[in-house]
Amino acid sequence: MSGTPRRVVVTGLGAVSSLGIGAHTFAAGIREGRSGVSQIRAFDATGFPHTVAGEVHQFVPEEVVRRLRVGDWGRTALFAASAARLAADDSGLDAGVLAAARTGSVVGTTSGESAVIEALTGQWVRDGFKRLDPALIRQVPANQIATAVNSELGLRGEAQTIATACSASNYALGYAYDMVRTGEADFMISGGADSINRWAHAGFYRLGALAESVCRPFDRNRSGILTAEGGVALLLEPLEHAVNRGARIYAEVLGYGVNCDASHPVSPDPTSIAACIRAAHRNAGVSPADIDYICAHGTGTPTNDATEVKAVREVFGDRLPPISSIKSMIGHTMGAASGFGALICCLALHEGFLPPTANITEVDPALGPDLDPVPGRSRPASPRVVQNHGFAFGGNNAITILGRVA
Amino acid sequence: MTEIEALAVTGAGVVSPAGFGLAALRGWDGAAQPALSGPRRDEDYPPIPLVGIEGIDPEQYLGRKGVRHLDWTTKIALVACNRALAELDPPLAPDAGTRTGVVIGTSTGSIRSSSEFSRETLVQEKPYLVRANLFPNTVMNCCAGQVAIFNGLRGVNATIAGGRLSSLSAIRYARNAIVGGHIDGALVGGVEELCPQSAWGWHLSGRLTGDTAVGEGCAVFLVESLPSAAAAGRTPLAELLACEVVSAGSDDRPVISHRATAAVRRALERSGVAPADVSTVSWGCTGHVGLERAELRGVRAALGGRVPAGSVRVTEVAGESFSASGALQLAALLAHWAPDGSAGAGSGEIGLVTSIGQDGVVGALVVRRR
Repeated sequence: MSGTPRRVVVTGLGAVSSLGIGAHTFAAGIREGRSGVSQIRAFDATGFPHTVAGEVHQFVPEEVVRRLRVGDWGRTALFAASAARLAADDSGLDAGVLAAARTGSVVGTTSGESAVIEALTGQWVRDGFKRLDPALIRQVPANQIATAVNSELGLRGEAQTIATACSASNYALGYAYDMVRTGEADFMISGGADSINRWAHAGFYRLGALAESVCRPFDRNRSGILTAEGGVALLLEPLEHAVNRGARIYAEVLGYGVNCDASHPVSPDPTSIAACIRAAHRNAGVSPADIDYICAHGTGTPTNDATEVKAVREVFGDRLPPISSIKSMIGHTMGAASGFGALICCLALHEGFLPPTANITEVDPALGPDLDPVPGRSRPASPRVVQNHGFAFGGNNAITILGRVA
Repeated sequence: MTEIEALAVTGAGVVSPAGFGLAALRGWDGAAQPALSGPRRDEDYPPIPLVGIEGIDPEQYLGRKGVRHLDWTTKIALVACNRALAELDPPLAPDAGTRTGVVIGTSTGSIRSSSEFSRETLVQEKPYLVRANLFPNTVMNCCAGQVAIFNGLRGVNATIAGGRLSSLSAIRYARNAIVGGHIDGALVGGVEELCPQSAWGWHLSGRLTGDTAVGEGCAVFLVESLPSAAAAGRTPLAELLACEVVSAGSDDRPVISHRATAAVRRALERSGVAPADVSTVSWGCTGHVGLERAELRGVRAALGGRVPAGSVRVTEVAGESFSASGALQLAALLAHWAPDGSAGAGSGEIGLVTSIGQDGVVGALVVRRR
C-alpha cells in the first residue's frame, strides 16, 4: 500500500434505531434527550424481572431495502443493510457509481444473528435437531451481516464482519478508514448491527448488570445497562472526491486506537483504556488539549462509568472535556453502540451541538470534580475534534477520533 | 493497483483431527478417518461422517486456572496458540506483548455455547436462570479475548466473521493492523468446533457430498512484519503475499467462478507473481456440492488453463472446518512444503490458498516458501 495517504471523510449517515429510522430522526431524538426504551415485544419476556429494552418497533425492512429479499436474511443483517441503504442515499452518491467502484463494507456485531439462533434453538427444544429449518441455518453465520450490505447496494468489494462485541463498530470504522486512506478501497460502508435477544437479556441480568427500567450513566444511582438493538452505517470517501462532487461532509475521520486489556474477560481496566486513548491520539495526530467532547462508552453500570472516567482523567488530567452517554436514551445497542456514537459525533461536529446524557438526577460525586456529562438535553457548541469510545467483553478497547474538516 | 508488503509467518500452532502440529497434517494418509470417541460419541449427531480432535487434554498445556468454564472453541484455540508460541525460536520477548495482537476467524463463536445458553432461557423454570459464568462464552470474541489473557497479548484484538473465508479475512485484518503500525505482529488464524449444532446444520443444508466429514480444528500463525521478524532473529517459515477476499454479490456458480478467477489474478498481480510460478494450490472447496468445480474452474482460468502439480486438500484430514478452513489450508500448505518447518530446497516456491463460500464470498492468498 504505497502512495500518499488520502484524507477520509464521512458523507453519508444511516440509522435504524429505537428513536426512529434515519440518521436525522435519530439525532433529533438524541438532542431532545428522548427515550427509545419500551416494553420488549421481540421475544416473550414473561418471567423476566426486567422487561424493557431499546427495541426498534417501527422497523419495516421492506420500506427501506430495495434489492434484498427480506425473507432470506436475519434481523441483524436487515438492520445493517437498511442502515447502509439509508447512508448511501444520504450521501447523494450515485448508486451506480458506488457499485462500480471498489466499494466494500465492514460491519461490527456482538451476537450476530442472535434472533435467528434463538429461533433455531426453539425448534431444537420443541422438535429436536432433525427439524431445524435449513433456510434459517443459512442465516446463522455472522458474516451474512456485511454480505447483506454488499448485496443490498450491489457492492462487489470486501464484506468484513467484525465480531469484537461491544466495541466492534469502532473497529469497523478504523478498518474502513484505513481501506479508503490507503487506496485499498474507493468507498467503504462502515457500520454496526445487533438484535435484542433472550440470552443476552438473561446473561446481563444474571451478571447483575441490567438496570430495571432506566439507564442513568454517571448518575449516583445508576444501576446498569438496558439491552438494545439497531443498525447504523457511515459512508466513507476520500476528502478530495467529496469536495469535487460538492458533497455534504459531516466529518473527517482522523484516526483510531485499538488495544486489549488482556486481564479479565468482563471487568475493564482503566490503565489499558488510557493507553488506548493515547494510541488513538497518536494515530490521529492530536493531543488531549484538542479534544472538545467525548462520546462515552457510558453503559451505566457502576463499574464501567467509574473505570471510564478514571481512564479519561489519567490522560486529560484536570481538563476534562464534556463526556456524555447516548446509551441513556437508546440503551446498549451492543455491536452497533460505538457506531451510533460515531454517527452522533459526526452530526455534533457538523451541526454544532453536544449530545446529552439523559436521566441524570445527581452526578455521582464519587466520579470526581468537574465532570460534565451534558445532562438532560443537548447543548449548542462548536466542537472541532471529538473522541468516540467503545469497550467490550474480552477487554477489547477501540477509540475513534473525528474532526470538523478544516 | 498497489503491490503489497510481504509479511513473515514465524510460528504455527495446529490442532486438528490428524493430531498436533504441521507434521500431523502431512503424515495423515486420509484413509481411515477416526470416529468420535469420548463423551461426544454419545451426543445427538446426524448419520454422516464426522472427524474430531481426540485425545488432547487442554489443561495439560494451559494449566487448570481459568480453564474449566471455557468452551471447546476457546480451549482448542488456546492450545493452538500455546503451541505456536512455545515453539517460537527465539520466543516472544517479555515486552513484546504490548505490540502483539490476536486476530481470530470465527463466524459464530461457539455455536454450541450460544445455543445451549439460549436453550436454558426456554427450559428453566424462570428464563433468567442461566449460569452467569457461561455468558461470556456466548459472545463471539470470547476466544480472542482469552488468547490475549492467557498470553499477555495487549495489541489489537479482533474477531473476524467471514464464513468459509474467515481465516483469510483475519489475515487481511491483521495485515492492515501491522502495516498501519498498530502492532508489530499477531497470532492470526481460525477456529471451528464440531458439535451437534454444526453437524446438523451441514447435514440439513445438503451442501456437502455424502463422503465428506464435518470436522473441526484450529490453526494459528505468528504473523509479523519482516523487520520485526528480523529484529527478533526469527526465521520465517513462509511469507504471506497478497490476500484478496471479495463478495461476489451472487450465489450463481458461473458468476462465482469468474469472481474467483478475478480474485486469484488480482492477488497474484499484487504479489508480483506470474501465474506460471504457482506450484501448489491448497484447495478450500473439497467435498462441496457445486463449489468444488467452481473453484477448480476459477483457479484454472486464473493460472492460464492449467492446474499445478502440487495439490493440497486439508478437508480430507480435518473434515469441513468452516471458519478454520483457510487457516488449516495454509497450515497444510506449509506442511506439504516442509513438515518440520525447516527451510528446504524449494525456497521461493509459490503456493495459493483459495476458497469460496456458499454465500458467494471468494478469496485467494498467495504464499511464498522460505
